[in-house]
Amino acid sequence: MNNVARETILKSIRSHLAASASYDKQEVSHGFPRMNADQNPSSSVEICGQFKASLEAVDGHCMIVRSDNEIAQALTNIIQGGRIAISDNPEVERLLQLTDLEIEELGIAPDAHDIFRFDVGISTVQAAIAETGTLVLDSTRERHRFVSLVPPVHIAIVKASQMYRTLGEVLTLIRKDKEVSPAVTFITGPSRTADIELTLAIGVHGPQELYVIIDEVS
Amino acid sequence: MNHLSSETFDQNAKAALADSHLRGALKNATSLFGERRKAAAASLPNWEDLRSEARAIKDDVLSHLDRYLLEFVGNAESRGAKIHWARDAAEANSIICGLALERNARTVVKSKSMTTEETHLNDALEAAGMQVVETDLGEYIIQLAEEPPSHIIAPAIHKTRGQIAELFNAELGMPLTDDIARLTSTARATLRDRFAAADVGISGVNFAIAETGTIVIVENEGNIRLTTSLPRIHIAVMGIEKLLPRFADLDVFLKLLPRSGTGQRLTTYQSYITGVKRQPSDEGPEELHVVLLDNGRSRMLAHPVTRQSLACIRCGACLNACPVYQQVGGHAYGSVYPGPIGAVITPQLMGIQKAAQLPFASSLCGACREVCPVKIDIPRLLLHLRAEISPRQGKLSERLAFKMWAQVMMRPSLYKLSSVVGRVMQRFFPVSKAWTNGRDLRPIESKSFHELWSNE
Repeated sequence: MNNVARETILKSIRSHLAASASYDKQEVSHGFPRMNADQNPSSSVEICGQFKASLEAVDGHCMIVRSDNEIAQALTNIIQGGRIAISDNPEVERLLQLTDLEIEELGIAPDAHDIFRFDVGISTVQAAIAETGTLVLDSTRERHRFVSLVPPVHIAIVKASQMYRTLGEVLTLIRKDKEVSPAVTFITGPSRTADIELTLAIGVHGPQELYVIIDEVS
Repeated sequence: MNHLSSETFDQNAKAALADSHLRGALKNATSLFGERRKAAAASLPNWEDLRSEARAIKDDVLSHLDRYLLEFVGNAESRGAKIHWARDAAEANSIICGLALERNARTVVKSKSMTTEETHLNDALEAAGMQVVETDLGEYIIQLAEEPPSHIIAPAIHKTRGQIAELFNAELGMPLTDDIARLTSTARATLRDRFAAADVGISGVNFAIAETGTIVIVENEGNIRLTTSLPRIHIAVMGIEKLLPRFADLDVFLKLLPRSGTGQRLTTYQSYITGVKRQPSDEGPEELHVVLLDNGRSRMLAHPVTRQSLACIRCGACLNACPVYQQVGGHAYGSVYPGPIGAVITPQLMGIQKAAQLPFASSLCGACREVCPVKIDIPRLLLHLRAEISPRQGKLSERLAFKMWAQVMMRPSLYKLSSVVGRVMQRFFPVSKAWTNGRDLRPIESKSFHELWSNE
């Protein structure tokens, strides 16, 4: 049945293409000059600053810090405690232990049923894009698919060395992996909608608040 | 559902024009989207190059569609995705219902997908005993209201907050409010329960990458991430034209699509899904099914003019730019695809007799062609479709009038006579009320240009 459908569709494509007059198609130029291609690589300070500005333009919060203790301090400033879900990157738990937060419950990568009762999700990321303020999460490297999505607050910890300038650079990076990851997610700011009278509302399905802490020294 | 028919566009449009609330909402929406798109396009120095590049990529895909489809299928299958081929809407729906029934699914969560609107998948799932929940806020609102979407990217654009509050009051028991944030958070809370209970998630696809077997879905709300992450089974439905050859091509399309749609630099989320998870303990669905839908698309390949309809990336920019859409809105088109691109796609998908009025619902001003991120020559397509329709159509009186007009225009003496007669007759026979209802008709000048010229 499925094979019949497949053959019918392919046959229809081929016969209609063959019947068609030649196409006034334009040449594909694979060497198309991408934006910023000629720009010099910038300093870490500059690129982190660009990320911060891009993220804040889409209602995300960004803190640039210079040590583990400052990360811990930033975490304490954002959350008061409560039920916290973290990804399975041990780095997150280590940094959380540096804080004096009163944690009611700590879940490490809770499953699809458990995740709903948590107030905050904390993860690291695999890359970030400065020109758009985008976080790049690869689910084969870290279990952060749910903690970055379901709790009302998501905090992401980023190293300056993970920062790329453009979308194009990161797409190339993902493609370079011999096996493309089953789930890669790009996140640019908190969840938003303008479906009612085109009025912006933040936090419709995904996190209502997004905090990014960048360790500039790393 | 109160679906209007494409066959009665003229009547639908008249009703829409009489709805002053609708026209106000349309004016706000289309001008806001239009301004944002313009600013976003201007923020890139190479916008025109990007458009040409995008079109060239799509042309390449369409002229080798069989090859790219098979490349995509091979790569997706080797990474654990199950591929299903559907010749038409009924076949797609029966595949999807079958998958859900075999797994004893009761609750299906859906993210916004024009392709499943096209196949009327919800009706089929409900008939199969499933509870179907649209999770995009706009889609959720119109699902509660039992209405079709009125805009490709803002489905509930025609509804006011007051109407939505009344709807939520009646359907969800929420106290009346005019606070949009509260309406939104009520939808969030209600839909969270549905997500937690869902057995199957159904999504659309924005781009499918041949060289990796990846599907890419873009959004702002997060409901697509929830739909494609939480349930055990993810079913993605895509038209066969959604392919891009290379991963790197996304760099072009991800710059064009959000800017053309909402004027954003990038949408809040993009999900790149390549097959199924590697370890059973990994997060995410256990099964990924991709349904490839033809439903009249392969037919459009047969002509170089109609073929370009398949380059469309469903951004909605042509709707916002169109002076006809701006006045009548999406429902009047009687199709899930409204506006200029709808006037082109609908007759080709549904059959030209069923939507014969749509290609005429345009002044051919060319605004749609100018904003289209993939440079589809919609006016040319409209003319092409009109030419297919007009020998079979048109009122006798209209055809006679044009014949007479042609005769008069070809003979200077007749033309002179007609302008004299016209000047006199105009005083006694007012022209059609439909014309003078909204504007004055200027009297014909007492001296013609010819007369003025020869007197000089």
